[in-house]
Amino acid sequence: MLQPEKPVADKPRPRFSFSGWGPLLGLILLCILATLLNPSFLSLDNIFNVLTRTAFIGIIAVGMTFVIISGGIDLSVGSMAALIAGSMILVMNALEPRLGAGTLTVLVGMLLALALGALFGVLHGLTITKGRIEPFIVTLGTLGIFRAVLTYLSQGGAITLEQNLSDHYSPVYYGAFLGVPIPIWVFLAVALLGGLVLNRTRFGRYVQAIGSNEGVARYAAIQVDNIKILTYVAVGICVAVATILYVPRLGSATPSTGLLWELETIAAVIIGGTSLKGGSGRITGTVIGAILLSTIGNVLNLTSIISVYLNAAVQGIVIIIVAFLQRGRR
Amino acid sequence: MKTILRSLVMLGALLMMAALAQNKVVMGVSIPAADHGWTAGIVYWANQTKGELEKMYPGIQVIVKTAKDASEQANQIQDLYTVNKINTLVILPYESAPLTKPVAALKAKGVFVTVVDRGLTDPNAQNAYVAGDNPGLGKVSGEYVAKQLGGKGNIVILRGIPTVIDNQRYDAFMAVMKNYPGIKVLDAKYANWNRDDGFKVMQDFLTRFKQIDAVWAQDDDIAVGVLKAMDEAKRTDIKFVLGGAGMKEMIKKVMDGDKLITADVTYPPRMIQNAMMLTAESRVKGTAMKTPTIIPSVLVTKDNAKEYYFPDSPF
Amino acid sequence: MCEIYHRQELQVNHHAPLYAQSKASLTAHRHAARLCDWRRYTVLSVRFESICKDFGPVRVLHEVGFAIQKGQIHALIGENGAGKSTLMKILGGYLQPSAGQVLVDGQAVHFRSSREAEAAGIVLIHQEFNLAEDLSIAQNVFLGRELRRGLLLDESAMNRQTTRALEQVGLWLDPRRKVSSLIVAEKQLVEIAKALSRQAKLLIMDEPTATLTPGEIETLFKLIARMKGEGVTILYISHKLEEVKALSDTVTVLRDGRHIQTAPTAALTQQEMANLMVGRELSDMFPLKMAFSSPKVVFAAQGVSVPGWATEVSFELHQGEILGFAGLVGAGRTELFEGILGLRPRSSGRFELNRKTIELHSPAQALRQGIVYLSEDRKGKGLHVNMELRPNLTLMALQLYAHPLLDTAAEGRAFDKEAQHFNIRGGQPESKASALSGGNQQKLALAKILHPDPKIVILDEPTRGVDVGAKREIYFLIQQLAQEGRSVIVISSELLELIGLCHRLVVMRGGHVTGILGQEQMSEAEIIAYATGIKGSYATA
Repeated sequence: MLQPEKPVADKPRPRFSFSGWGPLLGLILLCILATLLNPSFLSLDNIFNVLTRTAFIGIIAVGMTFVIISGGIDLSVGSMAALIAGSMILVMNALEPRLGAGTLTVLVGMLLALALGALFGVLHGLTITKGRIEPFIVTLGTLGIFRAVLTYLSQGGAITLEQNLSDHYSPVYYGAFLGVPIPIWVFLAVALLGGLVLNRTRFGRYVQAIGSNEGVARYAAIQVDNIKILTYVAVGICVAVATILYVPRLGSATPSTGLLWELETIAAVIIGGTSLKGGSGRITGTVIGAILLSTIGNVLNLTSIISVYLNAAVQGIVIIIVAFLQRGRR
Repeated sequence: MKTILRSLVMLGALLMMAALAQNKVVMGVSIPAADHGWTAGIVYWANQTKGELEKMYPGIQVIVKTAKDASEQANQIQDLYTVNKINTLVILPYESAPLTKPVAALKAKGVFVTVVDRGLTDPNAQNAYVAGDNPGLGKVSGEYVAKQLGGKGNIVILRGIPTVIDNQRYDAFMAVMKNYPGIKVLDAKYANWNRDDGFKVMQDFLTRFKQIDAVWAQDDDIAVGVLKAMDEAKRTDIKFVLGGAGMKEMIKKVMDGDKLITADVTYPPRMIQNAMMLTAESRVKGTAMKTPTIIPSVLVTKDNAKEYYFPDSPF
Repeated sequence: MCEIYHRQELQVNHHAPLYAQSKASLTAHRHAARLCDWRRYTVLSVRFESICKDFGPVRVLHEVGFAIQKGQIHALIGENGAGKSTLMKILGGYLQPSAGQVLVDGQAVHFRSSREAEAAGIVLIHQEFNLAEDLSIAQNVFLGRELRRGLLLDESAMNRQTTRALEQVGLWLDPRRKVSSLIVAEKQLVEIAKALSRQAKLLIMDEPTATLTPGEIETLFKLIARMKGEGVTILYISHKLEEVKALSDTVTVLRDGRHIQTAPTAALTQQEMANLMVGRELSDMFPLKMAFSSPKVVFAAQGVSVPGWATEVSFELHQGEILGFAGLVGAGRTELFEGILGLRPRSSGRFELNRKTIELHSPAQALRQGIVYLSEDRKGKGLHVNMELRPNLTLMALQLYAHPLLDTAAEGRAFDKEAQHFNIRGGQPESKASALSGGNQQKLALAKILHPDPKIVILDEPTRGVDVGAKREIYFLIQQLAQEGRSVIVISSELLELIGLCHRLVVMRGGHVTGILGQEQMSEAEIIAYATGIKGSYATA
């Protein structure tokens, strides 16, 4: 201040870290291997298949990235998806006689899904921040509750969307825009939006600050509780968006809907380079992580060189290799 | 004085009740909780049958309990004995091995035990056994597929979850296929008895194989996913999809003459009803019960579909 | 808290003669002597020869060479970033030199880990302690070399030996107590006890007094003198030149990674040492005091109580005033202000800003009223050391850059400007704050809380762990803030700092205000009198 000497250089140096590219490298290697094993892997149809089925996990993982960066976790996403799907179908079926099997009914269903997702997020956030309960425990609890309610609503069987509605709704999953399936567009939009919010908004900055050190954030006048609640709302809304895409796929919700999605989602986020301890993370990493996970399953289905009994082992090995490629980032 | 008198009266009343209870059949029914379509069917039929039995045999008492895993079920049957004082148990074990000892303990105390579907590791732990026919399901399915294809063509198989049940069905199916060298099984992958995995695995089969003539989905839930995947890919080479178990939506399709779902093979959750009925009859009338009772897996086609369609059941 | 401390001090004073050099007293207390006979250690000397250390392309040590004599207290001084810590880490086995060698008693050594250095009798006591907070004192003392009886840990033997090790350093504590329950001064003594129990022959102490109160420092110095008497060589790193002057036999000055001078302490005055450290003449540490411009009261706190820490504290703050808060560690100063900011539950308290009643329940609410607080705990509460410099700077004033998307380019420009203004040296805007030296981290933290342009600035230990040069800059900055019409509250344990800087001084003891000192009453003796309860009944400012 008084004798300014050697102030900080004003040109940021471009940084390149090989380790940050681990997941992408892993994905590329996997794709090359898959193409060698079965050339139809690279067909446009197959690529669309993989990306479309990644959309559910990927969209939720974008929301989950915020929660994990802020130092939290949400284990309930799979059950929440199942419950939202079931509720959505029941309400749309009930509204069909009055509103008709048209766009209006479907829109009401979608709004309901979004409202439920946000509501569940608020409930999670309030219980965690104001109730001061570990997020792991809160969402482990709701994981059970959501799925149990869905199982109760379906009496253990399937909740099925009326055929007319299903026909009207199905383009949301099966339709395409410019030749690319709708879910891929939605996935892309959510990912871009997520990246923008994380890196270019106050909310995103606060999320990182809280995850990096909650104490410092609190002392820096950040309203930590509100930001945390918002992260759970974000993941809730992402679950709702994923569910809106999921329902038209099979037109039904069963107790096995969204089973283990929480693990896949969290794995995608962590593979993508976000620290499970919070603080830092990247949406691009999460997206790649999600694609990588569903690609493994796809490759295994496209070949039969490995015994089906060993599928899970292959997945485990690939995940660990990718983690190895990106180690040392911290 | 008054108190003593009152106590004596009470004691007498209690003794009489106990005596009455001895003649009465108190049946505990212990089944897995409804966590997928088929078990939902079990729960539905168990509750349905409880009503029918209580109407049919006045005085019988039926208590239905569901459990979400094997250890909960083991605790449950103990409670049924000590709290509900059952003298008859109909049980569909969650898993065979962990429940063998607890069931044997009840039998040793004089409870009549009927085991349903999943046999215990020690047959002495049960009085009677009522079961579906897993190898039969595979065999009937294999024969239908072979016949429909005229002994020639490519098929893919979507299996369930790696378990004994799945192996029995799959092995019996493959045994039939041995007789038809013209039929080529392209691949078999696990689809975990659920719709989403059925959808994914079938999508990848469609990518991988350009000519598929038939699909054996082994289970109706998987078949739902398979149909969606085919629909999306707009593939016309597949002539039919055969599921299994007898889900009502699939039976309806068969009944309505669906082009792809031409048949189904039963593995009816209704077997719990058979077991409860047979057990109750033998206990009330004091007759012996035939064991084992095998509920055969039956081919359902358009002609007989009506008999297997239960619109009120969740499955 | 301070009561506990006094008890220890008394005990230390009482027992100190037991460990005096005289053989008679040692034999008289054979029990203690047998267990902690420091004299059986061979004394140890160290010689650095042309030590260089590179971190990537950056050379932080340039051919440093000097010798540490056996059994001396050798002080190492230099500004933050001068390379003191790096050199000490090399000696302690935490780092390896890029070139040159270390000789211990004339033998070249190459420590590949702190364990190897420890085996040779060299132990580094870190500035931030190396204690596992959740373990007990005994578990910490024996960490990595637990005593066993067969397969099981021999807890009772470890507790017994720990009790003795603690007694050596004047701590009478239950060895089963968790480290997290100790106050800072106690933790430091535990660190020393741990080192001694590991047969340290050369003890490296990095800024040991940074977080201690005057009384605690006195205890520590007595201990250091005793250790020297027992033949332990001590390498003492400090910013506090008066301590160096009082304590050490020899002093070495480092500057910008180079060895500047090694000389007997007696041959240098404090001013000369300071000049050698900064490489230029250091004019007065403190700016000239200016009377504050207006007598207007901008902020008033009435009857603030923070359960367990502060009782019915009231004070007023004038425009342009620098108001100091003095007291021993545990007097409740930090907790009082955390309570005022809504960071701790408060049982009572009313506040007025410019004569209007205001609500204060969260730091966000305070910030909206133009009140900011910088914590004493830089790493835990003050600065995101794992985040980059730029987002650290703008964190409290992000609304300036959100339209609604953050304008990162503008943030970058703001950073460049503030880096210049606050003279923050040694990092790229995209490097992590942890890469900066303590002084520069503190300047960044100050820049951060000043970025939203607050009217009332509360600084808790603003110069803790900061070198002389940066300290002076911070003093001038505080002065400048007051000149601009802002009001500043400074909480500090350094009495000279408070005396040199403040217009008025509030002294606290045990959660109560015991005195308010005006300019003419400010002296070290006077402050200590109020802080220890010799003077002053509870008062209001």
